[in-house]
Amino acid sequence: MPIILRRLATSVLILLAVSVMVFVATLLLPGDPAQAILGQQATPERLAALREQMNLNDPVLQRYFSWLGGLFVGDLGISAASGGPVSALLGERIGASLVLLVAASLISLPVGFLVGTYSALRRGRTGDHVTTGVSLVLAALPEFVIGIALITLFSTTVFPILPSVTMAPPGEAVWNYPLQLVLPTLTLVLVVTPYITRMMRATMLEVLDSGYVEMARLKGVPERQVILRHALPHALSPVAQVVAIQLAWMAGGVVVVEFLFRYPGIGQALVDAVANRDVQVVQALSILIAAVYIIVNLLADMVGILTNPKLRTGGTR
Amino acid sequence: MEPATSSRLRLPDTSALQLTRRRLLGTGLALGLGGFLAACSGGQPDVLASPEGPPQSGGTLRVGLSGGGAADSLDAHSPVSTTDIARVVNLYESLLYRDENYELQPLLAVSATPSADALVWTVDLRKGVTFHDGRPLTGRDVAATFKRITDPDDPKTGASSLSVLDEVAVINDHRVEFRLNTAAATFDDSLGQYALGIVPEDYDPATPIGTGPFKYQSFTPGRSSLFVRNENYWRDNEPYLDELSILNFDDDDALINALLSTQVDAVGQIPLALLEVIDADPRISILNSETGMWMPFTMRVDKPPFDDNRVRQAFRLAVDREQMIEQVLSGNGSIGNDLYSPFDPGYASKLPQRVQDIARAKELLADAGYPDGLSVELVTAPIQAGAVEAAQVFAQQAAAAGIDVKIRRVDTTTFFGDGYLQWDFAQDFWYTRNFLPQVNNSSLPTAPYNETHWDHPEFNELVAQAKGTLDPDKRNELIAAAQEIEYNEGGYIIWGHPNQADAYQQYVAGLVPNRTGLALSGFEFRRVWLGGDLS
Repeated sequence: MPIILRRLATSVLILLAVSVMVFVATLLLPGDPAQAILGQQATPERLAALREQMNLNDPVLQRYFSWLGGLFVGDLGISAASGGPVSALLGERIGASLVLLVAASLISLPVGFLVGTYSALRRGRTGDHVTTGVSLVLAALPEFVIGIALITLFSTTVFPILPSVTMAPPGEAVWNYPLQLVLPTLTLVLVVTPYITRMMRATMLEVLDSGYVEMARLKGVPERQVILRHALPHALSPVAQVVAIQLAWMAGGVVVVEFLFRYPGIGQALVDAVANRDVQVVQALSILIAAVYIIVNLLADMVGILTNPKLRTGGTR
Repeated sequence: MEPATSSRLRLPDTSALQLTRRRLLGTGLALGLGGFLAACSGGQPDVLASPEGPPQSGGTLRVGLSGGGAADSLDAHSPVSTTDIARVVNLYESLLYRDENYELQPLLAVSATPSADALVWTVDLRKGVTFHDGRPLTGRDVAATFKRITDPDDPKTGASSLSVLDEVAVINDHRVEFRLNTAAATFDDSLGQYALGIVPEDYDPATPIGTGPFKYQSFTPGRSSLFVRNENYWRDNEPYLDELSILNFDDDDALINALLSTQVDAVGQIPLALLEVIDADPRISILNSETGMWMPFTMRVDKPPFDDNRVRQAFRLAVDREQMIEQVLSGNGSIGNDLYSPFDPGYASKLPQRVQDIARAKELLADAGYPDGLSVELVTAPIQAGAVEAAQVFAQQAAAAGIDVKIRRVDTTTFFGDGYLQWDFAQDFWYTRNFLPQVNNSSLPTAPYNETHWDHPEFNELVAQAKGTLDPDKRNELIAAAQEIEYNEGGYIIWGHPNQADAYQQYVAGLVPNRTGLALSGFEFRRVWLGGDLS
């Protein structure tokens, strides 16, 4: 499938371009990392020693390639704030963010597809009106409003049954305390699902009105098969784009949700790193987030290709 | 108790967002309380009355605090964020400390006595004190500690207030001498800082060993720490708790939600605006402490227009202090008289309280050559709860006197960056300090944080005299005289002293109001115990 290979190559190029941009952007920041690490305690001797240690005296191009090379082997440099390797600092946080992302997707994707399809099939009836109304309201609410409402409802005031914040003891992973994951996951689900539902409903309606669905029905294909075999695959492609945007948004660090639930994700780490001028951490996270954006968009493109017979057979343009 | 730097809590710059969220949370709390009363069942002991009787031992105290981040450390001598301070105070102990009434009390020292010329201070150490690894505390540890703090290649937080210290001489295991290069009649005050915890000679922050009531167990910077009871602590019976867990929060809403859902037992520094609504919850107690903290506006006395004292006085007269406290601190604060150190025994309490006088302010500005008013830029940042709000309220109040205040809001890192101490007109935040240590930090030409660039010969002379005067009455007179100069000519606008408000579950006992400005009884968790059934 040459078209997929072509998309893959483009993605790699984009990622390289992003890495150049991230690197140049951090070069433009006032002061160098050595100065940021030493702060007020910077004496000329200590600065010189640290610059040597961090290879800051090398030509810019060489630094870029050694940084890029480090990315491939997982060597992300030394964090200015903690003094330890960036990979150690971020490892757990990336895991925690991933857990939240996967949990929220596993719920919101099927629910979004099902509710959207249901709504489309019941077009104009009560079920459709209810789902459209609810998803519109949820889509209009910012995530912290949803989060605070859930906390008030299930944690602090009305039904005090769930923990409101994540607080695993030092060194323990967040998934060892599944109850603490419920509210942050639910918040993300309620934020993401409405978009998927609405998109699913819209494309499904379009597909159901199309000539080939009508043709299939006229031929006497059973309704279940019309939906599953003829309508659904065509409806999925545009929805995949929306799903990709939602996934990328969640992977980019849902800072507000992390703050509200004291969740140890990468969004929180990024805000902290920017405040501390912790350049190495900012670089690592920017690249990571960019990579996720590119990968999910690539996946969405692939879904689009695979569900479109014209593209699938390679007969492009 | 005092940090050498002004508080630099590196919080993310999200206050604009928080303002709306806070309001929202407040409403949510108010609405939800009725529902709570109907469905009250927490995971922790259901005690609706405060515990009474003799303290009982056992249990874990979970403390939530805002601030901190990946830069958090357990280094005894470099606490920066609130969370650092809370941890350091419980792992380590200094020679003296400030108690809840802001009085200097012995801690690892039993006495600190000056020589007649105040150039040598003899400190006798408490006997029978051991470090967490079992080794006894000796004079050599004290000497090594101060050497580490004042290391010229890597000076620690407390170094700036120890500039008069030449060396610490070890006399024997239980006695040391602090030899000074300048007479310092209140050197004992400098020894009472929490950032001067005594550590063993071979101290390495990677194995944080001190003499404090709690021992290190585990720690993740920016997230949480777990300490356990020091079985060999030198005070009888204390600490009562088995474990102490200190948790970082990035967000006030999350902090308060954790308290309301009983995931933490006590939280420090809650937004003053939420005080009333949290207090309405019968499970929660409030600790509202009057403090000597101050959040001044800083005018550079060497830069126009503030190099003209009439302009400075006009600005001071433009402030409606009562309204400031009402709007910025929700009424939880005491009024300021453009003077710091309200708990100092020499505090110039006889000076009349300055009040808003717009007519006089306009007159002074006209005399100074600004008959039509003037325009200034005020640099502000969310350096402390209420700082940005104070700038906004001031801008409104000053407009009446013909002063056009343009607010320039920057983020906290920028505020304390290259421009810090250089802004013409800005703000700052200071914890409670007595006069002489405060002046050392902020109001002498040699002070490291002289943000108003204050350098007044007569004032400097009075301070120098006071530093060498061992007789407290005479010293207090000199201090009051120096304060009068600041009252008449200084570059600070000190409109009030904010209260420190904390909240805790009803079953937590042993927390008392504390004047130092540090949250939760100055973090003295050794005195805290838990009521109810702990089994």
